[in-house]
Amino acid sequence: MSDHDTHDHEPVVTNGDGELYGVLAEYDTPGELVAAARKVRDAGFTDFDCFSPFPVHGIDEAMGIKRTILPLLVFGGGFTGTILGILLQWWTNAYNWPWNISGKPTWSIPANVPIAFETTILLSVFTTFFGMWILNKLPQVWHPFFRLERFGRVTDDAFLLGIEAKDQRFDLEKTTALLKDAGALEVERCYLETDPKRKNMPRWITALIVSSTAFALIPFAIAAKARNSHSSEPHIHIFPDMDFQPKFKADTASDIFADGRANRGEIQNTVARGTLDADDLFFKGKENGDWTQGFPKNIEVNLDFVKRGQNRYNIYCAPCHGYDGRGEGPIRQRLKAGSLDWAIRNLVAPPWEPGGHVVRMPNGQLFNTISNGYATMSGYASQIPPRDRWAIVSYVRALERASNSLQNDVPQADLRDMPAPQAPAPAGAAGSGSGSAAGGSK
Amino acid sequence: MSALTKSMHPDEKYKAGKLGAQLAKVGVALAVVFLGISLVLTLAGSADPNSGHASKWARFFHAYVIGWSYIFSICVGMLFLVMLHHLVRGRWATAVRRVAEAMSCAFPIVFIAGLGFIIPLLAGYEDLYYWAHHDAHDPILNHHLHHKLGWLSPGFFAARYVIYAVIFSGLANYFHKKSKQQDESGDAKISETMRIASAPAMILYSLAVFAASFDILMSMAPKWFSTIYGVNFWASACVGGFAALALMVLGIQRTGRLTRSIGPDHYHDIGKWMFAFTFFWAYTAFSQFMLQWYGNMPEETHWYKYRLFGEWQWVSIAMLVGFWAFPFVFLLSRWTKRIVPSLVFFAVWQLVFHWLDLYWNVMPSYDWLEVAQGGTVINAGPLNGNIAYHHVGFSPVDITVWIGLIGVLLIGIGRNLKGNLIPTKDPTLPLSLSHEVM
Repeated sequence: MSDHDTHDHEPVVTNGDGELYGVLAEYDTPGELVAAARKVRDAGFTDFDCFSPFPVHGIDEAMGIKRTILPLLVFGGGFTGTILGILLQWWTNAYNWPWNISGKPTWSIPANVPIAFETTILLSVFTTFFGMWILNKLPQVWHPFFRLERFGRVTDDAFLLGIEAKDQRFDLEKTTALLKDAGALEVERCYLETDPKRKNMPRWITALIVSSTAFALIPFAIAAKARNSHSSEPHIHIFPDMDFQPKFKADTASDIFADGRANRGEIQNTVARGTLDADDLFFKGKENGDWTQGFPKNIEVNLDFVKRGQNRYNIYCAPCHGYDGRGEGPIRQRLKAGSLDWAIRNLVAPPWEPGGHVVRMPNGQLFNTISNGYATMSGYASQIPPRDRWAIVSYVRALERASNSLQNDVPQADLRDMPAPQAPAPAGAAGSGSGSAAGGSK
Repeated sequence: MSALTKSMHPDEKYKAGKLGAQLAKVGVALAVVFLGISLVLTLAGSADPNSGHASKWARFFHAYVIGWSYIFSICVGMLFLVMLHHLVRGRWATAVRRVAEAMSCAFPIVFIAGLGFIIPLLAGYEDLYYWAHHDAHDPILNHHLHHKLGWLSPGFFAARYVIYAVIFSGLANYFHKKSKQQDESGDAKISETMRIASAPAMILYSLAVFAASFDILMSMAPKWFSTIYGVNFWASACVGGFAALALMVLGIQRTGRLTRSIGPDHYHDIGKWMFAFTFFWAYTAFSQFMLQWYGNMPEETHWYKYRLFGEWQWVSIAMLVGFWAFPFVFLLSRWTKRIVPSLVFFAVWQLVFHWLDLYWNVMPSYDWLEVAQGGTVINAGPLNGNIAYHHVGFSPVDITVWIGLIGVLLIGIGRNLKGNLIPTKDPTLPLSLSHEVM
C-alpha cells in the first residue's frame, strides 16, 4: 500500500482526503485498451477492470477473465423449470384434483409438454436475468471512480483501465509507470472520502425504502384479513357507476310500468316476425291434438333425408345415446370410468323389453322429446331446426329397424361371410340382439 | 487497420481449381456404383419385402423418393442460408456463403435426378403414390380421397414439379450469379440489389418449400393432412443443410484452401444454426403431433397410429432421442460447436438422422393393404389394416439408393465449385473474416 502523502512527481487530481482507492488510466482506442489490459494482466494484477462505451472484442481474454458460469446456471434453471412444470401438472390435475378432460388420462406427458416448455423458458430467463445481475454484482449504485470527472465520459468516448490499490502488486509509482508505458494518455489517482458522514446513505433514502416496503405489504395484509374473518358489511364499491348501472335486468322490479316489472312481455294479439309456427304437425308433432304416427306433409322421407338425420344424430345425440342408439355413448362410458353411473335411454331396444318404449312412441312424441327434452335430457329446439329434428326421428327409426332386423333382411349376396343360420330366437329377437337393457332416468 | 475488420490473408488459397471436377468425379462414381447396385438388387428381386404392391420396383421407388428428398432438402437448407444472409445483411457467413451458394446451385441436377420417379409416374406407374393407383378412385373405399384426386393426378403433379424446379433453380442461380458478378466488378450496389431481391424471394421460396413437401412427401399418405408439415420438413432440411455445410467447408479446408479465412468462430455459428433447427424440428414435430393427439380424430390419428405402435414405434423413439434429445443436450455447449472433430461428429450424426426422419415420414406408407370386396381384390393403399403386419422391413436398397443420390448431389455441387471459393469483393467480407463469437 502506498502512502497518499507522497504525491510528488506526477501531476494528479486530488479528489478526496482519504485513503488511496486506485488509479485510472485513459487510452485512446479500444485496441490500445486491449493491449494495456494484456500488459497489466501479464504483470500479475488481479484487482483491475476496464471500462468502455461498448463491448470490446477480445477484452475478456486480454484481461484474463474466466468464462462465465452463467450458461451452466441457466441449464440448471431450465431443467428445474421442466421438472417443476411437470410436477405442477401432476399435482394439480392428477393428484390433488383429478379432472377428466376429453377422456385423456389425467396424467399424460404429451399434454404436459407445452406447459413444461413454458416453465423451462421462464426459469431459464429468470436465471439468465437475475444471474447476470448477481454475477456482475449489480445493481451498483456507486463506485469510487465516480469521483473522477474523466469517468463521466466512459459512456461516451473514454476507454479506461482502473487498478485498485488493494491489489497485492500495487505500487503507486511503478503501477503508474506501467500504465504510462502501455500508452495511457493520462493516469489519475482516486482517493476515498474520509468524512464518515458522507459515506453513509442519506437517511431519507433509507426512510423511503422502509416506508415503501411497508406500503407494499398493505394489500397482502388486507387479503389475509379478509380470508380469516367474517363480515356482514356490504362490498366496497370501488367503481359504483359500473356496479350500479342505470338499466333493468331481466325479471327485476321497476316503478316505471304499471305492472311493476322490468320485463315487457309479448304484446297481446301480436306475433313476432318469424315465430308464428302455426303448423302444429311440423312444429309440435301433433295431429288433431294427438302425437302423429307419420311425418309432416312437407317432408319427403328418402335416403338423403335419413342421412341428414344420421349426420345430426351423430353430432347431437350420439355423445349420450351412442352411435348405435343403445345408450352407451362416450358420456356414459366416462361416467362409468369414474365413480358415477347413470343409465341413458336405449333408443333401439325391442318393444317387448323394459327399455323398449322409445320404439313404441309415436313419431310426434319422439319429435317432442327432441324439441323439449325429457327428465334430465334438455330440449334441443334452440340448437336443431325443426326439419333436422324430423330427420333425426327418421334416423332413429332406421336405427331401430336395423337393430331389430332378422337374417332374412340381409341381401343374399352379402350372406356369404355370415355364419350359418341358427334356430330362430324367440319372436323376432334374432339378429344382433338388444344389447344392454337400459331403463332409468333419461 | 482497425481491430474490427480484417482483409484476406495474402497467401490464402481461395481458388477452387480442380476441386469441383474432383468432387464431381467422386459423385459420378458413387452414383454409378450405388444406383447400379440398387438396380441389380431390385431386378434380382431381393430388394422387396413386397407388401401389397404388384410391382417389384415399389421398394426401389419409395427409397428413391426418400433419397431424392434428402438431397433436395440439403439444397433447400443452403438456399435459405444464402437468402437469409442477404435479407438481414448478415456478416458472419460471408466467408462461407460462396460454398453455400454452390451447394444450393445443385438444384438443377437434383431436379433432373427427380425425373427418376416423375417419369414412371407419368408413364402410369401405380405402386409409388397410392393416389396414382386405379383403386384410389373407388368411391366407397376412398371417399376421403375422392375430392383430392384432381390435385393429386400424375399430370398436374409433374407440372408442379416443373414449377418447383424453375423456382428453386432460378433463385439459387440468381444469387450465385450476382455474387460472382460482384467478384468481377467489386460493385457494392450488387449487395443491395440482392438484399432487395431476397425479400420476395424468401416468400416465393417458403411457399414452394411448403407445396413441394406437401406434394412429394405428405401425399405418400394421401388421406392424411397436416398444415404444419411443410415447416417440419423445412426444419429438418435446414438441419441437414447446415450439417452438410460444416462437412463441405471442412472438406475444402482439408485440401489447403480457405484455411486462413474460416475458423472456429464460423464453425461455431454453423453449429448454432444446426442446433437451432434441431430444436425447431422437434418443436414443429411435436406441434403437429400434439394437436392431432388431442383432437383424436381418426382421419388425422391414423398417420400416427402406424408410427407409434408396432415395429415403427422403435424408429419413432430413435427419432426422438437421436434427432432431438441427444444432439440438443450436447450442442447446447459452446465447445461441442467450436471443437471441429466434435462438430463433425454431430454433423454426421444429424445427417444420418435427417435421412431417418424422411424414412420415417415415407416408409410407413410402403405397406399397402389388399382387401376383398364383392368377389374382387382391391388395393386399399397405405396405413390400413392390422398394425402387427406393418413392418419396418428394412431393405439394403434403402441405403444404396440414398448413397447413390448423395453421389448425384456431389455432382451438382462439384459443377459449381469453380473460380473463387469466397466472395472476394463482398463489402462485408472483412467483417466476416474478423468474425468472433463473444
